[in-house]
This record gives sequence, C-alpha cells and structure tokens, in this order.
Amino acid sequence: MAYVEFKAIAKSFGNFVAVADLDLEIEQGEFFSLLGPSGCGKSTTLRMLAGFVKPTKGHINVHGRDVTALPPEARDIGIVFQNYAIFPHMTVFDNIAFGLVERKLSRPEIKKKVDAALAEVGMTGFEDRYERELSGGQKQRVALARVLVIEPEILLLDEPLSALDKKMREEMKFWIKNIQKSVGITTIYVTHDQSEALTMSDRIAVMDQGRVLQVGSPVEIYEQPASRFIAEFIGESNLLKCQVTTLDGSACSVNLGDVSIPGRLSSNASVEPGQDVALLVRPEMIRLRPIEANEPPKLQGTVSETIYQGSVVRYRIHAAGQEIMVEVANRPDLPRLNTGDNVATYWSAESGVVIP
Amino acid sequence: MADGKMSQPRSLSQHQFKWLLVVPLVAFFVLFFVIPVGLLFATSFNPAKVGQVALVSDLTFDNYIRFFSRSNYLMAAGRSILLASIVSVITLIVAYPMAFVIAKTENPARNTFLLILVLASMQLDMVIRLYGMMVILGDNGLINQILQELGLTDGPVALMYNFRGVVFGLVQFAIPFMVLTLVGVIKGIPSSLEEAARSLGASRRRAFMRVTLPASMPGILSGSLLVFALSISSYIVPALMGGFRVGVLPIHIYQQVAESARFQFGATIAVILFLISAAAVAIYLRLGNRKSGGLA
Ligand SMILES: Nc1ncnc2c1ncn2[C@@H]1O[C@H](COP(=O)(O)OP(=O)(O)OP(=O)(O)O)[C@@H](O)[C@H]1O
Ligand SMILES: [Mg+2]
Repeated sequence: MAYVEFKAIAKSFGNFVAVADLDLEIEQGEFFSLLGPSGCGKSTTLRMLAGFVKPTKGHINVHGRDVTALPPEARDIGIVFQNYAIFPHMTVFDNIAFGLVERKLSRPEIKKKVDAALAEVGMTGFEDRYERELSGGQKQRVALARVLVIEPEILLLDEPLSALDKKMREEMKFWIKNIQKSVGITTIYVTHDQSEALTMSDRIAVMDQGRVLQVGSPVEIYEQPASRFIAEFIGESNLLKCQVTTLDGSACSVNLGDVSIPGRLSSNASVEPGQDVALLVRPEMIRLRPIEANEPPKLQGTVSETIYQGSVVRYRIHAAGQEIMVEVANRPDLPRLNTGDNVATYWSAESGVVIP
Repeated sequence: MADGKMSQPRSLSQHQFKWLLVVPLVAFFVLFFVIPVGLLFATSFNPAKVGQVALVSDLTFDNYIRFFSRSNYLMAAGRSILLASIVSVITLIVAYPMAFVIAKTENPARNTFLLILVLASMQLDMVIRLYGMMVILGDNGLINQILQELGLTDGPVALMYNFRGVVFGLVQFAIPFMVLTLVGVIKGIPSSLEEAARSLGASRRRAFMRVTLPASMPGILSGSLLVFALSISSYIVPALMGGFRVGVLPIHIYQQVAESARFQFGATIAVILFLISAAAVAIYLRLGNRKSGGLA
C-alpha cells in the first residue's frame, strides 16, 4: 500500500472541473512532483491533500488512514507556499516556533528545536528579523524550517521557487533536494517548470486540464512520453509526422519522406501499421553530417538557420517537408555547418519515439 | 503580494509628473487647512475679548492658563478623551466581524451588496440619522417600550441626552469608517497565512487569534485612530444626542464662540483638541511600529 493515495479524487468549482477522477500513489520518502501548465489543477490537488479544499468526490489516504474529512490541523502535513506565508507580525524565531507552540512544547524544547532548524537551513543569527527584513531566498529557508521543525509526515511545496530569480532558483533547487534527502521526508512538489521537476523528482505526474496524463521517473517522462502533449511540454521536441510501416513488439519503423526510420513505441501506446503517428526526436539526440556519396539512405535536409549559443550550436533543418531542430555540442571534432548546407541526419533507434 | 513585482526603471520625467499630480491637493490643503488652523492657533494667544475677532499683536498665555486652571474644562477634556476611546473600542468590536465577513466574501455581487449595506447609512445626513435614532432611544422610544413590556424596568431608562446617548450616536456614525478601513486591510492579508497556521497545527480559532487578527492590527489601529479623531471632534452628535448636557470640548468651543463670542478662548480649546488628536496619532505610530513589525 502506498503512503499517500488519491482515490478517484475530483474537485469542481461550480460547473468547472478543476480536478477530474485523479488516482495517484506516492511512496514513503519519495520526492514526487506534480507538473503541468498553469491552471491544470496542481495546486488544487495539493490543497486537497493539505485539507484546505474539500474534494467533490473520492478519498485521500495517508499511511492507510482516510484523511479526507480531517481539518488541516489534524493532518500532520507541512506546506510551503509560493509566497512563503511568513507571518509578518512575528520574528523569524516565532515563525519557526509557531507549530511547536501549538503542540504545547516547553520553552527550552522550543528553543532547542528552533535553533536546530535555523542551523539546518543556514539561518542562524536571523531569529530576530521580521519578514520585511528578509530576501526571497531567506524567506524560503524560514518557511521550510517552520515546516520541518514540526517533523510532519508529508512535505508539500507549491511552486516554492517561482518567486526567486534564476540564479537563486538553480541554487535552491539542489538545496531543497538535499534537505529532502537528508530528512527523508515524503515530498510532493508542485511546479510548472519541467526542469525543476526533472532535476529534483524521483517520480513525476504530468497533469493537464485536471487529469493525470502520465506518471513516471524523470527518465521515463522525458524519454518515453505517453502523448504529444507531454513530449512538447517537457523539454524541447521535434514531433515529425510519419506513418507506421512495421511493428515488432516495441520496435516500430516509420516512413518519413521516402526513408524508413527505426524507432520504438512509447510506453503503453498501441499503433497499427499504416497509422499516422508522430516520431519524437529530441534536438540533442540528432547528429548531422555532410552528405557523402554511396551512403545508405538517411533522412536528408538543408540547414535553414544556424543559431550559435556558446556551449551549443542549434540548426534548423528543413527535411521531408518538415522543420527539425538539432542541437549540437560546440566541440572542435564536430563539423560546423552553414545555412544552405545539405546534411544527413542520424539518431539511434532508441532516440526516436513513436507516439500515437 | 510582492512576488514578481519587479521594480521598473522609471524615467525622470515620469517621476516629476507624479509630483505634479499632488499639487492641487497640496494647494487645497494649504488654503483651507494650514492657513485657517494657523490663524486659529495665533488667535488662541490673543487676550480673550468679547466680540473681538481680528488678530491683535498682543500675545498672552492667559487662555491656556484659564483652561488648565478650571476643573470644568479639564473634565471636559477628560470626558472627550474617554468618549472617543469608548466609541473607538465599541465601534471596533461591532465593525470587525462585519468587515471580516465582507473581506472573506469572494462572490463579487454579495460583496458589493454587503458593502452597500454598510455604506447606506452614510447616504443620509447625520442630523436626519440622529433624529431617527431618537425615535428608538427616547423615553417613549422603541427600546424603552420593549424593556417595559418585558418588565425589565419600571420607568424609562435614559438612553438619550446623556453620555450613553452620545456613544450610541457616535458609534453608528463611525461604523462605516471602521468597516471600510478594516475591509481593506483584512483583504490584503494573504489567505496562505491562515492556511500556513492551520497546517502547522492551529485550529480555525487559534489561527485567527494568532495570525489573522494580529496581521490586521494595522487596520485596527488606523481604524481606531480615525474613529477616535472623528468622535473627539464631533459637535453635532453630542449636541443632538447629548442635548448639550454632555460637556465635551466641541460643545465648549461652540458655547465660547457662538454664545459668549469669546473667539480667543474658543480657539484655545480648539487648539487643545487638535493637540489631543495629534497625540493620538503619535501613539498610533509608535504602536503601529511595535505591534505589527512595522506593517502600519
Ligand atoms: N476557489 C476557486 N474557485 C473557482 N475556481 C478555482 C478555485 N481555485 C482554483 N480554481 C480553478 O481551478 C483550476 C485549477 O486551479 P489550480 O490553482 O489548481 O491550478 P494550478 O495547476 O495550480 O495552476 P498554476 O500553475 O497557475 O498555479 C483553475 O482553472 C482555477 O481557475
Ligand atoms: Mg498553483
């Protein structure tokens, strides 16, 4: 039995369905992300688990216990909000002590635990500050300390990085992940940023319009997206229109222009020969080479645009009536191409994913 | 919320333009407030002379000495402060729940309806409202009739032409101001604060007491200050609801100016009234900085 279970959970606001028929299982100690575009129901899902929103139907179990009807204060769940929700009339110390005071701990115990929490998040010496005297990153640390100090069963994070600048975001990403690992707390992380989800998560649930489209490890989600939506939402993708020619288990060849290209079927998908499908190839999986004579047939095209980006060079290739984006590491051993060059494109059979 | 609100570079001309916008207000303020109050202040240092209006060069502290050496004036000042304080507290207690409900009502139609309900009383002139209250509070008024029907009292309870009556009148006058001030502040408290408190283990009531209420302290303070200033300077309510029997400072000012024609002494009382209000503002600023972590 999973640690957290959403069972056929749905939430409507009036006629609007924010979350529809959601089933999720989250394991103990896992870093689990809800990833999806704005308005897809991530926060609503999280808030149902926290107890702020009552599901229209379904049940939520935590550790085998049905918590659906419990008020937030009875759930033992810590939440960090996008705006951090630091209590403005309290010092950092009192903020972190808040949950301990509610649990009626003695003063020395509170002091000890708050000091330890401050040390853990690297905020020792800030106990007398008020919210308005803290930077975004510091507020974040206080918000996390305030939650971790009560040692909740589950940690919920709702877009905790979105209010930070890019550099801070990169830093906090690893910092949060490290703290989560060292504490070992079951964590559910809401984000619309695929790179955050890929970097931090053990598993990801991709959501759209109130539904979960796919659940899997970052590798599965990135390399075997179940749908075109997921492929496009996560990372950059070339989705090439083609037809299935042959099918053998998960190996699947497609016809692209005049060439037959081997690929593999995305997980759980089923297609038939002759069906119109999309072939997903990530830009960094494609290699380019000038066309040589007496070569076996490959997908050939013309460089229509060259974009130099320092560490990588990107090429827009026109091939078989479609645009293909290619990203090549900027290395001296790889040929540099110019606009107008004719090139052959390569990728390994595993890198071409057939999506219905 | 401050997130994502990047400070935008503003060109100098835009900045200057912004200052131009305050010019009409400042001009109005100087012409109709600073100058009259300055004249009033100066007049209070002239010797009291019946019928004398114009400023004279003769300066004296006699009026102030008179004020502070007569117990009836000192008691009037004390009564005014007590009245304004009581009104502030009662208005706060009555207005907070209403403001809370309005602030937490998300449905825009219902929200507007509730606000109109509160503001409706402001549509009528104060005098009309007070005559309305007399019908209820008078010796043969609704409340006294009910009290006697129920056998709770033998004779009528004096609800008007006394301190109590003035309090009733001022509270009903002040409620919309308090509600409006509080609604703005309570609305500005992100709901995530209360939610954070709840998930940290606080019941709904505890979260309100420990988070929402203290976070609305800036509104409580500024609303109370506003009501205090409105109440302490009100003339019409003590005049009508107190029937001139509740001697607060504005009543004394009126008597000095309109009845005794001693403008200088009237001006002195007015200056003292003004200083009491200014002291209240100073206390408010200090409290505001301490209580709310500088939110006010
Ligand atoms: N209290 C509410 N009343 C009405 N509609 C709501 C309410 N809360 C959320 N919604 C709607 O439900 C949908 C899902 O909202 P939710 O906040 O869960 O989205 P989200 O995935 O967290 O999006 P974002 O990335 O923008 O935070 C949205 O379309 C939103 O407008
Ligand atoms: Mg959200």
